[in-house]
Amino acid sequence: MTPAIEFRGVQKNFGPTEVIRGIDLVIQPGEIHAMIGPNGAGKSTLFNLVTGRYHVSAGHIALNGEDITNRAPHDISRKGLSRSFQVTNIFHRMSVYENVRCAMLWNLGYRYKFWQSVRNKRDLTERTDEVLAQTGLSSRSTVLAGLLSYSDQRALEIAITIAGGANVVLLDEPTSGMSSAETEQAVTLIRDISATRTMVIVEHDMGVVFDLADRISVLVYGKIIATGTPAQIRANTKVQEAYLGTDAEP
Amino acid sequence: MPDPRKLGIGALIVALLIVLPMMISSSFALSVMNQIGIAIIFALAFNMLLGQGGMLSFGHAVYFGLAGFVTAHVINGMHVDAFPYIPVTLIPLVGGIAGLFFGIVVGFVSTRRAGTAFAMISLGFAELVTGLTLIIVFFFGGEEGVQTDRWVREEWFGITYGPDIQVYYLIAAWCVIAAILMYALTRTPFGRMSNAVRDNPERTQFIGYNTHRLRWLAFALSSFFAGLAGALHAINVEHVGFETVGLGQSAVILIMVYIGGTGHFAGPILGAILITLLNAYLSDVSPAWYLYLGLIFVLIVMFAPGGLAGLIMMHEPIRRTAPYLLWQMAPAYGAALGTSLVGLAGAIGLIEMIYFRSTTVSLDSALVLYGIELDTGDIWPWLICAALGAAGGYGCKMTYPRVAEAYSAAMHEARALVTT
Repeated sequence: MTPAIEFRGVQKNFGPTEVIRGIDLVIQPGEIHAMIGPNGAGKSTLFNLVTGRYHVSAGHIALNGEDITNRAPHDISRKGLSRSFQVTNIFHRMSVYENVRCAMLWNLGYRYKFWQSVRNKRDLTERTDEVLAQTGLSSRSTVLAGLLSYSDQRALEIAITIAGGANVVLLDEPTSGMSSAETEQAVTLIRDISATRTMVIVEHDMGVVFDLADRISVLVYGKIIATGTPAQIRANTKVQEAYLGTDAEP
Repeated sequence: MPDPRKLGIGALIVALLIVLPMMISSSFALSVMNQIGIAIIFALAFNMLLGQGGMLSFGHAVYFGLAGFVTAHVINGMHVDAFPYIPVTLIPLVGGIAGLFFGIVVGFVSTRRAGTAFAMISLGFAELVTGLTLIIVFFFGGEEGVQTDRWVREEWFGITYGPDIQVYYLIAAWCVIAAILMYALTRTPFGRMSNAVRDNPERTQFIGYNTHRLRWLAFALSSFFAGLAGALHAINVEHVGFETVGLGQSAVILIMVYIGGTGHFAGPILGAILITLLNAYLSDVSPAWYLYLGLIFVLIVMFAPGGLAGLIMMHEPIRRTAPYLLWQMAPAYGAALGTSLVGLAGAIGLIEMIYFRSTTVSLDSALVLYGIELDTGDIWPWLICAALGAAGGYGCKMTYPRVAEAYSAAMHEARALVTT
């Protein structure tokens, strides 16, 4: 089976600082793969490398078998990979509905068209309503995104991420800053959208990670020290030493 | 299916544009209306960049002016049969295409970056083209500019564009067409994504869009409409000078659009009408006109960054839910307006007297202001104006918070009505 994402010897330096020090990892299609590790381990950097936000210093990254190393972000997005951001990254001055609709325009073939209206297009309307319903935002569709509550903005962040129909989805700390009730909702949503997609999640909440993930990779100082099922990771002594036992995140 | 209410308003505007010149006989008023029509097209085009696309240009007159020069040369070429004949009715399209061409070429470079870099590059190109006007004399005509004669030959229905009234209808028709087209553009995938790249260029990339392409397209299309306006300008005044590509022209359009409001489609239209009117009528009355324009601009930027359209649209939720609430707000607004006018009267008096003293060479020290003859050599007019200004300023300090209170109270009530 072709891996959804494959890292081969990926390195990233910022000047003399080595942030990612040789990553080899295969994300299987359909799995939920969690990345854990202490702050500064390079989890977000790894996301930024896959999505083209940063250039890799060495190594290769493949998406569904195709090399995407150092391609532009829009290029990678068009190939079926999308991501959410740790800090909410939405279109503040547009309505919730408009946010979601814009996020699917490219993938539904609307591209740069300036000779046709986006109104009354059945594919757009239906898909937007569907995504809004799935993320629980239907009742807020006319609200300006910048005026939403924090947890609704986080939901919109995910709505934008999945709207384009990408088959590989990267979520960067989807439950950060949420109350436990909100976290529970978010977990349900993530499980729901993972049914048809490969997912990679960076998450600090260990409850969420061990609850959701099929496999977990532990990243410490730019290297993966272990990859395995939640049970394997829990039993791994190296992980316990480096991370779980000593300074587990709250 | 278009909204019937909007269709109704549109029909009303068109009818008004048709009958307006019949009710006005003054040729000065007609020429002002022509300028307004051109300014509306240019302002809407500029707002495609600033309001819709989030690109602040200090040199958009380049595309307006260059298209004007091209238009003048094409018309002059038709007079001597150097160019194939195109009806003057359709000549604005030639200007549009010229604008589009320059927009595509320059935009490719300038839209690579947004924000400050874009603004600086636009300023650079404005200076560059202004410099070229004195170098490429065969095209720009040096300091004299290029003259043209819009009367080429008789067109459909015996139109010659000799009389000004025919030019008025030409401008009005193109203004309506251009406004409809630019409004339609806001609803296309391009238009929506133009807003997206304005709000958040980073996220735009991660939903599959090349931000440079989006900005470039917005820039090129905006230049097309700026060029259309430039062509109409050339036809209207039958002359294009080097100042049409200059920073002054670029600044005026920026100020118009900002005062009108960048956040609403009708904002630039409001700004274009208001500023052109003030420019036409106030510049004759007061030599300090530019000072007032600057003052209005600064006040809008500081206190109403949404422009006039933003101020009006603030009240839209109230009007929609409970129009009677607007009447409840009227006293507070009236009081604020009254104190503002008193303060303004004082300030204007002082400014006009200072201007009068510094510009009048004659020994005559009388200035006619508000229909009163003032002796600027005397102390009393100065004291009275200063007192008016101070009283108005103090009054504003008392009345403005009332406006804010009245507004938030009305909003609160409107919101309560919606939720129950």
